[in-house]
Amino acid sequence: MLRRFVSIWFRHLSTDWLTIHRPFFKDKPLVFAEADHGRMIIRATNTLAEAEGLVHGMAVADARAVVPGLQVIDEKPGRNERLLKAIGEWCIRYSPIVAVDLPEGLILDAGGCTHLWGGEKKYLKEIITRLNAKGYDVRVSIADTIGAAWANARYGKQTPVIEPGAQYQMLKVLPSAALRLETDVLERLHKLGLYTIGSFMDMPRTVLRRRFGYGLLQRLDQALGREEEVMELLRPLETYEARLPCLEPVRTCTAIEIGIKTLLETLCADLKRDGQGLRAAVLKYYRLDGRVLQIDIGTNRPTYHISHLFKLFELKIAQVEPGLGIELFILTATKTEEAPLIQEALWAGKPGLEDDAVAELLDRLAGKVGPRAIHRYLPDEHFWPERSIKLAASLKEKPGIMWPTARPRPTQLLARPERIDTIAVIPDYPPKVFVYKGERHRIKCADGPERIEREWWLDEGEHRDYYIVEDEKGNRYWLFRSGHYDGQAYQWFIHGFFA
Amino acid sequence: MSYTELQVTTNFTFLRGASHPGEMVEQAEVYGYRKIAITDRNSFAGLVRAHVATRKKDIEIIPACRLDLLDGPSLLAYPTDKEAYGRLSALLTLGNMRAEKGDCHLYRADVYAHAKGIKFIAVPPSVLNERFEIEDTFKIALKEYREALGPELYLAACRYYHGDDQKRLYRLSQLSAQYDVPMVATNDVHYHEPGRRQLQDILTCVREKCNIHNAGFKLHPNAERYLKPMEEMQRLFEQYPDAIKYTQEIAEACQFSLDSLQYVYPEELTTEGRTPQEELSMLTWQGAHERFGDTIPKKISNTIKDELEFIERKGYASYFLTVHDYVRFARSRDILCQGRGSAANSVVCYCLGITSVDPSKFKLLFARFMSDARNEPPDIDVDFEHERREEVIQYIYNKYGRDRSGIIATVTQERQKGAIRDVGKAMGLSVDTIKRLSGAIWQYTDEWFEGKLLAEQGLNPDNAHLKKALELTGQLLGFPRQLGQHTGGFVITQGKVSELCPLINARMAERTNLEWNKDDIEALGFFKVDVLGLGMLTCIRKGFDLIKAHYGISHTLANVPQDDPKVYKMFCEADTLGVFQIESRAQMSMLPRLKPNCFYDLVIEVAIVRPGPIQGQMVHPYLRRRNGEEPEEYPKDELRDVLGRTRGVPLFQEQAMEVAIVAARFTPTEADELRRSMATFKANGKLHQLEKKLVDGMVANGYEEEFSRRIFKQLQGFEGYGFPESHAASFALLVYVSGYIKYYYPDVFACALLNSQPMGFYQPAQIVIDARKHGVEVRPVDVNFSVWDNTLEERAGKYHAIRLGFRQVKGIREEDIQQLIAQRSAPYTTIQQLSDAGISQATIERLGDADAFGSMKLNRREALWQVTAMGDKPEALFKGQPSESAFEPQISLPLMSDAEHVVQDYAMTGLSLKKHPVSFVREKLSLLHLRAASELDKIADGTPLKIAGLITVRQRPGTAKGVCFITIEDETGFANLVAFQGIFDQYRKEILQSTLLMVEGKLQREEKVIHVIIKRCFNLTTMLNGITKDKYQPVLTLSRSDETSIPPNIEDAIKQPKQVYYKGRNFR
Repeated sequence: MLRRFVSIWFRHLSTDWLTIHRPFFKDKPLVFAEADHGRMIIRATNTLAEAEGLVHGMAVADARAVVPGLQVIDEKPGRNERLLKAIGEWCIRYSPIVAVDLPEGLILDAGGCTHLWGGEKKYLKEIITRLNAKGYDVRVSIADTIGAAWANARYGKQTPVIEPGAQYQMLKVLPSAALRLETDVLERLHKLGLYTIGSFMDMPRTVLRRRFGYGLLQRLDQALGREEEVMELLRPLETYEARLPCLEPVRTCTAIEIGIKTLLETLCADLKRDGQGLRAAVLKYYRLDGRVLQIDIGTNRPTYHISHLFKLFELKIAQVEPGLGIELFILTATKTEEAPLIQEALWAGKPGLEDDAVAELLDRLAGKVGPRAIHRYLPDEHFWPERSIKLAASLKEKPGIMWPTARPRPTQLLARPERIDTIAVIPDYPPKVFVYKGERHRIKCADGPERIEREWWLDEGEHRDYYIVEDEKGNRYWLFRSGHYDGQAYQWFIHGFFA
Repeated sequence: MSYTELQVTTNFTFLRGASHPGEMVEQAEVYGYRKIAITDRNSFAGLVRAHVATRKKDIEIIPACRLDLLDGPSLLAYPTDKEAYGRLSALLTLGNMRAEKGDCHLYRADVYAHAKGIKFIAVPPSVLNERFEIEDTFKIALKEYREALGPELYLAACRYYHGDDQKRLYRLSQLSAQYDVPMVATNDVHYHEPGRRQLQDILTCVREKCNIHNAGFKLHPNAERYLKPMEEMQRLFEQYPDAIKYTQEIAEACQFSLDSLQYVYPEELTTEGRTPQEELSMLTWQGAHERFGDTIPKKISNTIKDELEFIERKGYASYFLTVHDYVRFARSRDILCQGRGSAANSVVCYCLGITSVDPSKFKLLFARFMSDARNEPPDIDVDFEHERREEVIQYIYNKYGRDRSGIIATVTQERQKGAIRDVGKAMGLSVDTIKRLSGAIWQYTDEWFEGKLLAEQGLNPDNAHLKKALELTGQLLGFPRQLGQHTGGFVITQGKVSELCPLINARMAERTNLEWNKDDIEALGFFKVDVLGLGMLTCIRKGFDLIKAHYGISHTLANVPQDDPKVYKMFCEADTLGVFQIESRAQMSMLPRLKPNCFYDLVIEVAIVRPGPIQGQMVHPYLRRRNGEEPEEYPKDELRDVLGRTRGVPLFQEQAMEVAIVAARFTPTEADELRRSMATFKANGKLHQLEKKLVDGMVANGYEEEFSRRIFKQLQGFEGYGFPESHAASFALLVYVSGYIKYYYPDVFACALLNSQPMGFYQPAQIVIDARKHGVEVRPVDVNFSVWDNTLEERAGKYHAIRLGFRQVKGIREEDIQQLIAQRSAPYTTIQQLSDAGISQATIERLGDADAFGSMKLNRREALWQVTAMGDKPEALFKGQPSESAFEPQISLPLMSDAEHVVQDYAMTGLSLKKHPVSFVREKLSLLHLRAASELDKIADGTPLKIAGLITVRQRPGTAKGVCFITIEDETGFANLVAFQGIFDQYRKEILQSTLLMVEGKLQREEKVIHVIIKRCFNLTTMLNGITKDKYQPVLTLSRSDETSIPPNIEDAIKQPKQVYYKGRNFR
């Protein structure tokens, strides 16, 4: 089959992306910058910034001097790749073979695809129109080779469609930089006055190799189609994924259930074969109207139990909006973990959170009542008692720190300290007597004070002097005085009970 | 019962202590303490500050420190007498020398060896273990300490308020009884008042590299580490009254004060058993005869006698001898040097050779210093050639030994930007917010809190978190952050320096420095000498050498013919590119107005274009009086003495201070304090109080208020950049000498200047253009003629021709070139020969880029074509076989246009001898009716005109109210442009971004100074891009607004291949 490649060049990838998400930036000069040797260097610009003369590689300090109202956003490493991957995913509608072409492009293998859109010109037009509609400024070209398409998208001035075999003529007039060369090679070409590809492409190969290395020849060959170029595909084929195209558009709940079950069977068989368990999955459904929607599930431990997974999906089926009908389901395991095959035991119970049944129960409970209704606490690194514990985010979350044991803390901590009346000797002796809920406690022994200051960056107020006290019955309490003993209005509280 | 705080950590324990030593002392005095100890970690750095704070107060400090050991619990150490202090200092030095800068590695054994006369307190862990006991490791260590240190050892007890204080104190008392180590109360003070806890938390975050939100248990749980009133301490230790009592025992034992440290000059300054005074007197008279011949003029000899008498009375002889000693060394090695400072302008210094300024040229300078009332220490800074200063430093180290000489420290303080960054990060502000805060705000003023500036930055001024961050930033300002090495201040002593002050390793290898800075040294009455480096001296030295080699005349700073009217004439014409101190735009435009015609005029010229006189609005009155446009008047006759030499207008720092003394009746000490404290007061916002004091004082004595205010403004201007007459006088000599060389030997001057780069205001291209303008031929770099430095070749016309050296070529290392020169027995005829000589391909390629193969009749493109294939030469088996190049088909390369050559020349050497870039677009410019820079002379004042050129300098001085001065250059010369604030704002983009700038404006002529006042600006840079064939060359953006940024090295040039022309240099 004739191979035809499309190169898409996002001229302002990151700035376009930000403007789409925050229209605030629409009419402002905007740059992305990154620290380099202690200076902020511009890495991307939008059209307005470009018009002000700001370019890649310029220091932000200089740029600000020129454009006082310049908006500067931190460039995050890997963002371009993430964005391109996401757009690439979307482009799978145009071709199943999509590759990310860093820093700011995509490559599509359009062989055999373009006729569906009525020819190459219309194919490209569709891509441009749709991406423009999303808010991305793109240049696109199609040619026999990746290299030629790349060059034409960025430097070409004539036509985006390079007819089969016409790359030679096209490349001839383009600048040397269109060959994707290393900067030092490019530099050398310029010094020798070889500004266009045409000025050297017909030189003897040894002459070129000896002066510019194999790299130049390879790039030349790739662009001309003398050498195959390998792409790293966006969607590696070994992901756990099951597809279910529907002969007739599906709309009913039952049909969806059957679909899910079918998909799970395929997927779980694959997982089981590889000793993998599913932690998260996405079900994408492609609707007749062209929209792609999805539902997702997550589990607490890796699993390939069809019935368990189905139960989890079952809870979400209500959320599926079939619209006019669904034509394709794709179920992807977005996160998997090792789950070695275990001999099913009669007594499979393990203690606490290790027990699979507990985990499955929690999955189901969370699916029903929502994960927010289930609490698990971990220690948090704060002196202030109310903040010394935090909610765990998941069953698997490990405590960031050990439970601190240096200072005794009550077994039960009241969510809110309660007022008590006391008789205490100033300055900082423990109370002799306190009254809590109408009951009078005579204190036999006490320890303290432990003075805990407010976390001033969070709130302001009095510090607390905590005492551990024991009453006549041998019950132990955690009391504190809020405020300094010589303060005007100090108050006593009870904050917890020891075992 | 009295209490003495024995454990105080100041902010000289960096990132732990949260109060200045002075604040601790002041707070302690308020609480009625008689003594407190200062115990920073392994350091004495804060002692002097604390000590100075106790002066005039009823409180003393115990100089002490906390020893953090690598193999045991920390000890607090209190020397009881001077010897013990010396031992402790030596101990710290020992630890410092073992470790990297900022660290100190000490072991128990070291402590035992230095323990004599020192009292110790062992610091126990702050928590009990899970059995509610003190850790065994500490118990064992305590036992060993007790055995080694005997009854001098105590045990610290501190109330931490961690909930287990009672248990802990009980355990400690048990331990104390068990090992017979008395328990002593301390409060482990980290700040002087509880409010500083917040800042202390921030410091902890900075230290632990976390932020306040995730710092967690790294912070202190409460604010108890403040200096507590004595009664409170007694209450806290009610149950252990002995612990309080023992603090007094220690305090009474420690009678050592820093005041008892005596500075002793080294002995080897004198010879044959003379006293220093006898030695100085002998050397002076000896020198006097050398300078003045056998018969010394009566006036001079009288002055010498007076000065010697004064020096004897003050006991400064050794100081002069110290300076003389290394100056003599420098002279013996032919290193140029020149002293400056009040004492440097004495006849004695002239006789000793410390300065070459003939004191008969002006009067009174030293005499003013000599007044007994002003008890200033002598001040002689000596500048040496910057490339050879290290030799002098090594001489001092070798002569006195590293243990007896040390460079003083500079204490790096938290400045606004650093402070806001530290606090912002610790407060968890976003990088963007911090940038907004630090980038835009120049000065920490009240406006911060008013919120206007914050709102301008798009921040919410009402945000409490942000407000807190700013408040803490304010507190952090001025905190010491690290100890650095002073540029050249030395302390040289008879005994070991390390017994006066601990030494620390500097970041530079083979360097050590003291922990104290110049204020500390001064406060204790130690003497320091300054060994500084000066680029212009290097240039003059190179100039003298060239004159000797090519013109056969030997010059020294002292024997350059004085008062040559032709040299002054050149100055008056502002033809001073490259001349020391008077080469800047502002200086140059002052010259034709000032018309200097004698040495003292140069002194004034050097001092007048400075913030002080400008802010005091003294410049124009002086010029008017000088030109006779205004009578020379004095507000009161008493000022005639002070201001007589500058026509009644105070220009120098000394004069402004003397006015304060004479007119506002300040004491000399007060006047000096006024000058010093200007910066501090500014930070505190108390400036207007100071102003009021001075102005009221002067008004009370019958002066006009306006005049008084200007004097104050002027003093304020000196704060940032003090420029006293005594320094200006020394510099004036270098101005004259460099001017002399420039006038008589422009070839030598340009060559020496090029060889001393980077230096001064100008790029190599401008130096070369200037030299050519003065009739000097400049020849290109060539592999067969050049050496590393720029050299002079045979005479071509009036002067010798300059051959550019390889140092002008970017990206070439000197070693490679030495190889090339060593192998150059016969001229190279092929590139292959260079390669055979062992020159790397990369270097040959660079030489090709620099077009250095002219003598082989190869242009750069041909050379490069050959060079690039050379990496592929036959090797091993095939060695000796002809290279493939021999069989290569002939390839025709595109011809290189002149313009391309020029662009490449600029890219590689920063200059082109072929043509000026602007000449390639002259035709187009003429179509636009543009003038050339050389035409400006003939154009009448007020004529509207258009002109274009490469921007070489952009300058927006802080003193010029937003005015931007721009210098542009075309193929015919320079033009000076002025953009007023409004125009600058409007054309900011063009001014900052253009390489080739075109302006429309009006010519303004004042005397011989020509400016173009800008009305409109256009960026014509794209026109320049069109001169090469490379159509795809992106816009050349070369502006640079940050003078501190690193100049682009070769890697940058490759990454950004289009950085061709020099960037305009920007100055503030």
